[in-house]
Amino acid sequence: MAPSSGKVFPDLVLTDHAGNERALSNLVAGDPTIVQTYRGWWCPKEQAFFRKLVALQDEMEVAYTRIVSISIDPPPVTAAFRAGLGARWTFFCDPGRVAQQQLGLLETTDTVYRPYVPAVFTLFPDLTVHRAYDGYWFWGRPTLEELRQDMRTITQAVRPDWAAPTP
Amino acid sequence: MSWHWLALVDERPEDATGAAPVHELDGTAAGFLAIWARRAKPLADARRIDARLLDTDGAEAQISLVRPPPGVRLLFDDLAVQHARRAVLAAPPLDAVTTLLSDASHFEGSLTVARGDGVARLADDPFARIFPARLLHVGAGVVGRLPAPAGPVIERYGSAQPWPQDRFGAAR
Repeated sequence: MAPSSGKVFPDLVLTDHAGNERALSNLVAGDPTIVQTYRGWWCPKEQAFFRKLVALQDEMEVAYTRIVSISIDPPPVTAAFRAGLGARWTFFCDPGRVAQQQLGLLETTDTVYRPYVPAVFTLFPDLTVHRAYDGYWFWGRPTLEELRQDMRTITQAVRPDWAAPTP
Repeated sequence: MSWHWLALVDERPEDATGAAPVHELDGTAAGFLAIWARRAKPLADARRIDARLLDTDGAEAQISLVRPPPGVRLLFDDLAVQHARRAVLAAPPLDAVTTLLSDASHFEGSLTVARGDGVARLADDPFARIFPARLLHVGAGVVGRLPAPAGPVIERYGSAQPWPQDRFGAAR
């Protein structure tokens, strides 16, 4: 079963788009994070959602917040897709579907590719799930405004100096 | 401490934590690349780097060392420096990268480390679009390999920290 609000997201260890083994906790590294699973480059719904995430990137990059995307595609395919999107965050590759099974996110209705169910999780730095979104239907995915609200809530909770220090 | 000091010097410093000879790509000796793991600035010309770059077991490598011309200063927040950071994150990662700092406000250059297939990409160092770069060969025993920056964060985790050092201290 996919992690839900209040549960701890598994500290996945996977290969990134450049072929390096990485742990999710090292990518999160103390910042609020959006973890996204996606079917693959070929899905129009994923392309539409990635365009939103890439637009959000301009805010994420200055806000000490991170994004991690996960699919079954191998590093060469993932790296090409990432480059084409203009994404500057880390993509995880799970061609062996090990993490997919661990997360319970096999899309059973696609028996050809057996991709990830599209899902989005907003995480605290300790990997606790703030909100989980089931993106099987496109409108189940978070809007950018919902992601902003989640990042605000988590950031407010984890930054002791959220209220600007005063003289 | 999340930053160390780096300098390119003529003689091997006895007090450096790590140092290795440096050569131009044509083999001409170019001094020593030295890193100091300490709080006090060791030399007037030393600059702060991401502390994770130091590896006294690090293999020989090629580097792109970007430094501003004498008398030239550029804010770290300048758009050109922002775009260079974005370009680094967008490209396939090399073995290591760090920006150089002397204070909390200014971009004082960068050091990018490559080995193997990555060496050819040093010629397209995004930071070399800002200031001149020297492509050099550095011996073993000073620079290591860092995990690629996770992205998409281009900001420093505190203005005294060289990018891409990627986390706040425990108090945050």
